[in-house]
Amino acid sequence: MPVSNATAWGQLPDGRPLHRWTLRNARDTQVEISNLGGTLLSWQTPDRQGRVGEVLLGHADAGQYIDSNAYMGAIVGRWANRIRGGRFRLDGIDYKVDRNDGGNHLHGGNYGFHLQRWDVETDGDDLVLRLVSPEGDGGFPGEVSVELRVRLDDDGTLDLRYTATSDAPTPLSLTAHPYFNLNDRRPDIRDHVIRIDADEFLAIDAGAIPVGRQQVAGSAFDFREAAPIGSRLHWPDPQLQLVGGFDHCYIPRQPAAQAPRVVAEVVEPSSGRRLTVESDRPGLQFYSGQKLTGQPSRHGDAYGPFAGFALETQAFPDQVNGPEAEGAILRPGVVWRQHTRYRVDTL
Amino acid sequence: MSPHRIALLFNANKVYDRQVIAGIGHYLNSTRVEWDLFMEEDFRSRMRDIHQFRGDGVIADFDDPEAPDALRDLPIPVVAIGGSYHDPAAYPPGVPYIATDNARLIRLAYDHLIEQGLGRFAFYGIPPHPGSRWAQEREHAFQAIVDEESVEGVVYQGSPTSAGGWGTAVEELVTWLAELPKPIGIIAVTDARARQLLQACVIGGFAVPEQIAIVGIDNDPMAQLLTRIPLTSVIQGAEEMGRTAAHLLHQMLRGMDCSGTRVLVPPVGINVQVSSKYQPMRSPHVMRASHYIRQYGCLGIKTEQVADYVGVSRTVLEEHFKRELKQTVHQVILKHKLDTACELMTNSDTPLADIALRCGFTSLQYMYAVFRREYDCTPRQYLDLHRKTAAT
Repeated sequence: MPVSNATAWGQLPDGRPLHRWTLRNARDTQVEISNLGGTLLSWQTPDRQGRVGEVLLGHADAGQYIDSNAYMGAIVGRWANRIRGGRFRLDGIDYKVDRNDGGNHLHGGNYGFHLQRWDVETDGDDLVLRLVSPEGDGGFPGEVSVELRVRLDDDGTLDLRYTATSDAPTPLSLTAHPYFNLNDRRPDIRDHVIRIDADEFLAIDAGAIPVGRQQVAGSAFDFREAAPIGSRLHWPDPQLQLVGGFDHCYIPRQPAAQAPRVVAEVVEPSSGRRLTVESDRPGLQFYSGQKLTGQPSRHGDAYGPFAGFALETQAFPDQVNGPEAEGAILRPGVVWRQHTRYRVDTL
Repeated sequence: MSPHRIALLFNANKVYDRQVIAGIGHYLNSTRVEWDLFMEEDFRSRMRDIHQFRGDGVIADFDDPEAPDALRDLPIPVVAIGGSYHDPAAYPPGVPYIATDNARLIRLAYDHLIEQGLGRFAFYGIPPHPGSRWAQEREHAFQAIVDEESVEGVVYQGSPTSAGGWGTAVEELVTWLAELPKPIGIIAVTDARARQLLQACVIGGFAVPEQIAIVGIDNDPMAQLLTRIPLTSVIQGAEEMGRTAAHLLHQMLRGMDCSGTRVLVPPVGINVQVSSKYQPMRSPHVMRASHYIRQYGCLGIKTEQVADYVGVSRTVLEEHFKRELKQTVHQVILKHKLDTACELMTNSDTPLADIALRCGFTSLQYMYAVFRREYDCTPRQYLDLHRKTAAT
């Protein structure tokens, strides 16, 4: 169905107006997106009984999104996840980028894509969001132009196609950062049952920076067979204790021919809703939401721990400082592409 | 190094225990861990003999009341499997314990019935017995929910199941059901108990799910097989319990102290079938007729027999059907036969000719003709189409 016209939705601190748009499909699902950070504000979809409910966490108004540090629903860039010490070397030049996470860089820095006002236009069923990130944005080199094309299909798929170009070599990793809770009647995702199609994940240090690949087999991180999130949190595992739960990058089996492959599936037994994530990215960050405590909710109260979970499709954290650094660099003349699909349906 | 010798002490005659053991197997297969597993040939455990076991570790069913004492002084690591308790003091001290979360099982069943639009609830349990403390925990969880939410909730423990007392037990169950206000949603403590409920509903003539909606626990294929009305059932995370127990024992064999570890595993799903698909109906005639069709629709019944069962004339019944369902009785019977046929085609390898007969079609040719008329395709095409939609 065609995207709705823009609706006024608050303003930036400098007075520029913000808007939101609504995507609908033929099966009672609707998704709201703002031009503030390309944020997914809301996703309402039927449960097993056909009752429509909200499956995304969200704040109450634009001001809370601007003040928040949860990246709730936003498009994150230029660099999704962390860079050790906010430093990297590219083509012999050392760069220092914003250090906004205990000495490390996180999610684009102090003024990342999630806080910027995107240009938005509708194109039939698609919503097209564009952003020009100037040279030096967050400390990164080159001027980067990003286009994100969003579409809501009748089968409940939210299709996200990104393209980007740059006039100078720069690291680039973008991701959507929605927090899901598939049961809008219970503010806790620990009964959700998750499957992640990955044999390995990246073990981290105390600063949440990867230190090496680790097999999931025989550990709390093995979700190749579906398992409840909550009970795994009680497995004795130093990797879980480091960050109070899951906040780790999985390495799903590699995509064939750059086409999205299913990387994860989450089922909520009570509502019967199911989330399927498909992506062509090398990494999948799984965050179990343990630090959401105190984040303001759209209903005026505050979220508690494990109120939602995030599945972020992206490059590997700190990839720019590792052996696979070149894979995360966008060079002039090349079009960078990413394709991620989130689908919510019912069993 | 020779593999660790591990005893699995379960009475694996129920689907739950077998799934726990399957989970242990999955864990071993997913790792390079080699265990020499000791189980009795009949998959039953003899707790008393365990002190003669010359092995390295034990995973045991602690719902067995003998387990805590029998395993207390064992000098090798023990991991306990069992039901959760609302009172933390009820857990055996010093043993890692992997529990099925009884409170969450009941919560899932209860929320499901609420979502169906029901406002009255009952719980069908079993009388207290040392070997089934989990049943009392489920009853307690039910009572806690209805108290907290201030809704009507009735508990009935019934009688212990025995060959001699069976007749009386069924009569008492029918009497209990007759006295309940309706419509009502009943949570049965297990699928085995839910099956007894369904049977009593048939004997007492109570329409399932229009008057009595039923949810069981275990998702036991055997219970499913023995009921005419497919049973809705909560699926326990039993395999995950097995994986968790194997992981803990694996860590303990490497020297980790897990004695204080307690993991409560929530249910992993609910298999929603007809027994809980409550829809408010205005006409009691349609309700009774639907109940009859669900049970006997595939046995070649005609409108006449349905009307006889309901106790009204054909004309009156047709009027009620037209008003409530906008269909004739014949159409509803046919729909039931087609639905059953489609279900069998999708979920079994039964040959089409057998499916035709089992669904009350006089021949395979006639079933083809009905598919052609109703869906404008052959059964095979219908199935292909259905599979394709399911895959995309």
